[in-house]
Amino acid sequence: MLNFDWLRGVSPAVAKAVFLALFAVTGLLVLMIPRQYIYAGVKSPRWWHNLKLWALGVLAIIFTIYYIF
Amino acid sequence: MLSGIDYVVVIAYLVGIMMLGLYFARFVRSADDFFLSGKSLPFWAVGMSIVATDISAMDFVGVSGQSYRFGMAVGNFDWLGSVPAMLLAAFIFIPYFWKAGLYTIPEYLGRRYNDYVRAVASLTWIIFFALDLGVLFWAAAVLFEPLMGWPPWFSITATAVVIGLYTFFGGLTAVVMTDVVQMVVMFVGGASVLVVGLYQVGGWDGLVDKISAMGDAYGNHFKLILPADTQTPFPWTGILFGLTLVMSNAYMIGNQAVVQRCLATKSEWHAKASMLCGAFFKMFIPMLVMVPGLIAVATYPGLEDGDQAFPMLVHKLLPPGLRGLLFAGFLAGLMSTIDSILNSTATLWTKDIYERFLKKGASSRHYMIVGQLATVVLLIFGVATSPLSKLFPGIYVAIQTFLSFFQGPVFSTLLLGMFWPRATQWGGLVGLVGGIITSILLYTFKDSLFTIQEPFLYVSWWSFVMGVLLNVTTSLMTRRHPEERLSGLVCRLTRDLKGGCEAPAC
Repeated sequence: MLNFDWLRGVSPAVAKAVFLALFAVTGLLVLMIPRQYIYAGVKSPRWWHNLKLWALGVLAIIFTIYYIF
Repeated sequence: MLSGIDYVVVIAYLVGIMMLGLYFARFVRSADDFFLSGKSLPFWAVGMSIVATDISAMDFVGVSGQSYRFGMAVGNFDWLGSVPAMLLAAFIFIPYFWKAGLYTIPEYLGRRYNDYVRAVASLTWIIFFALDLGVLFWAAAVLFEPLMGWPPWFSITATAVVIGLYTFFGGLTAVVMTDVVQMVVMFVGGASVLVVGLYQVGGWDGLVDKISAMGDAYGNHFKLILPADTQTPFPWTGILFGLTLVMSNAYMIGNQAVVQRCLATKSEWHAKASMLCGAFFKMFIPMLVMVPGLIAVATYPGLEDGDQAFPMLVHKLLPPGLRGLLFAGFLAGLMSTIDSILNSTATLWTKDIYERFLKKGASSRHYMIVGQLATVVLLIFGVATSPLSKLFPGIYVAIQTFLSFFQGPVFSTLLLGMFWPRATQWGGLVGLVGGIITSILLYTFKDSLFTIQEPFLYVSWWSFVMGVLLNVTTSLMTRRHPEERLSGLVCRLTRDLKGGCEAPAC
């Protein structure tokens, strides 16, 4: 059990799908964050203050890396 | 060995970084300035500093050594092992800590549970960081010896003196601002090995072709996800349960060296943005530290010690000038990690142990001086313990082993404290101590319990699980805390430590 023997039947391809799903779900959760919370601490918000865009950009890059390799 | 122009590059870097670090000494007047930069740092400096702190000689030497042996799977530590956790930290934990006005993570645990939990967590981090210093100094010696011809004791002492000076006088501001420069130097220096190495092997396609032609033993060298029954330390089950769910979160949310600089940002937005900025830069790190190991497989197969892969590339591939630039990049990575550890450990000692248990109510300047003295003591300890690293087979695995002892238990205590109001002070203490003991037992009997070579990912996961179970069980058997005591300390309860709890999870 300590070595996760019960998961040995899961192929690396399925495992990769699990990781890709993790990134996708994280992206969805980021989209659900309220706008007010994103801009907290900013006096005059500009488009680049939108931290959702930053997070989604980072997730897009890592999703691509794991999709390829 | 380095040539004359290389020495010029390295000396120019050292003098420049020393002057920059000492320049910020003029802004240090109090403990707030020394430990939290007077809450004045911008997001970009903190984001770059997080990356510079995280990447060190350990990664240049150790990660390239691991990729030489096991392939790309080691890249999981900088991609999967960082990005999701940094997003979680940016949007949930860091804003909460920032608004609370904390200096340290154990400080939160002390308010949420009790002073025993705070002391155990703080002392555990102090011990880890102190041992980490020894490993880092030894990593310096490993690279200095073939390039400079210096004996280990001289490399270690020289590194300690240079870093100690600006960390002592400049505090966190000097640490973060020198980290910014060090990250740039590190990226440029690391890129020099990458570009020259890839050119030698015919580009990325040439690298893939060469390694693929070397036989089945290298069949997994270009795969990030390895089977659950792999004999390497990186089965996908360990990557998912140990790294993604526990170690990465524990590192990005519970690591004082990472979190402290986020707490020093000038606004809540800057605190969140600093983590996201760090996540962006973090994704380029495997290019600098992992790909050189693969290049070494194609150019110098059959090395007995994978940790020699990176020094070998530097020695054989780089011309004079570039070798000095790489060496400066290596120094940058090393110095940025050591200075951050020194400052964070001094903060832990001063705020969690000295101020809380030994001398309450002293002046801010008094605590600043205590922090500076702690910096000196830590330096001496790091230098004295550095030869211990020889006892472990791989430098990078050594540090992961240290980490896995308590990352899981600390994260379980933090997580339950933040999200489960029923967790009690004794639940927190038993979960933390029991989890650490579990880690030590699992590692002691690893040969009979685990089937992979270095099971630190599994140790991390199971010690986390044990920490949760012990915390929950003990909490349910002990008296619950009144709601007014938890107010502001647990998400979903009405307010945070200073104001309103606005995190979306709250």
